[in-house]
Amino acid sequence: MLLQNAIGDALNNTEWAFALAECVHIGGFAVGVGSIVLVDFRMLNLGLRHETAGRILRYTELWTVIALLFVVFSGVALFLSQTDIYRVNLIFPFKMYVLAAALIYNFTVHRKVARMENPSPLLSRLVATVSLLLWVSVVFGGIFTGFLV
Amino acid sequence: MDIAHSIQSIGFLVAFSESVLAYPIVLSIHLTCIALFGGMILATDLRLLGLTFKSLTITDVVTSLRPWKRIGGTIMIAMGLLLAASEAEKYAPNPFFWAKMIILGLIGVHALVFRPIVYSKTEELDRSPVIATKAKVAAILSLSLWTAMFVMGRLIAYWD
Repeated sequence: MLLQNAIGDALNNTEWAFALAECVHIGGFAVGVGSIVLVDFRMLNLGLRHETAGRILRYTELWTVIALLFVVFSGVALFLSQTDIYRVNLIFPFKMYVLAAALIYNFTVHRKVARMENPSPLLSRLVATVSLLLWVSVVFGGIFTGFLV
Repeated sequence: MDIAHSIQSIGFLVAFSESVLAYPIVLSIHLTCIALFGGMILATDLRLLGLTFKSLTITDVVTSLRPWKRIGGTIMIAMGLLLAASEAEKYAPNPFFWAKMIILGLIGVHALVFRPIVYSKTEELDRSPVIATKAKVAAILSLSLWTAMFVMGRLIAYWD
């Protein structure tokens, strides 16, 4: 609790800290999800066709993980700065469930199919579409958390 | 301020800002575009710098992502203008908003300058054993401008 309050207080008492945390949170999301989307677009056969999805995944994987770590840590800091608001928010739990689903899906099913030698085009498309839908839902969940208190 | 007031009083913009759902939905679309197409801009710039996707040619990366970046950019700017116009009176005195618009203009200038010598000359770039300096300059400027654009966008909310 002491640590939580320390982080929360720092964000609330420093004028630019909350803005900075938000920039890291959304910027990290853009890089992390943006790199996943590159794999999805390849799996949907919409871009980067001269390379396999597995190879695109290998190029982007490290970016995805590092960026998502920034997103999670800045997100925890933002949460701790206003725990009371998030606790009663109706949308916030939904965002967390979808986020958990998106993260688990990304590092299990999505990763496995992206790395397959010769997946059926239908399977690739289905897996990539679900990935895009999950991540877009997280964005909507995040924005609506802020708007519908 | 009169102009700003007139803009946000336009019928559909009033309806837009009075709707509980429309504003957050449009903002979500704006941000979704940032994530989807920001990644593509990053991929293009990092390839131009020779930092990743090395098994793909510059031509592959630039041309295959180009249509999606165009579509994404158009939706992103359209949604952004809708958000700004619906609250024109709030945005008009905000220095971060104008900084963002100037950066948007500079991104246009960047495209005008570098399209003919870099983005439309990718096959020439691929033939060269080392990546040409002009391509690296274009990539670094692009990364800097988009990062500045993003930060200004976020800071708009913090000015009062």
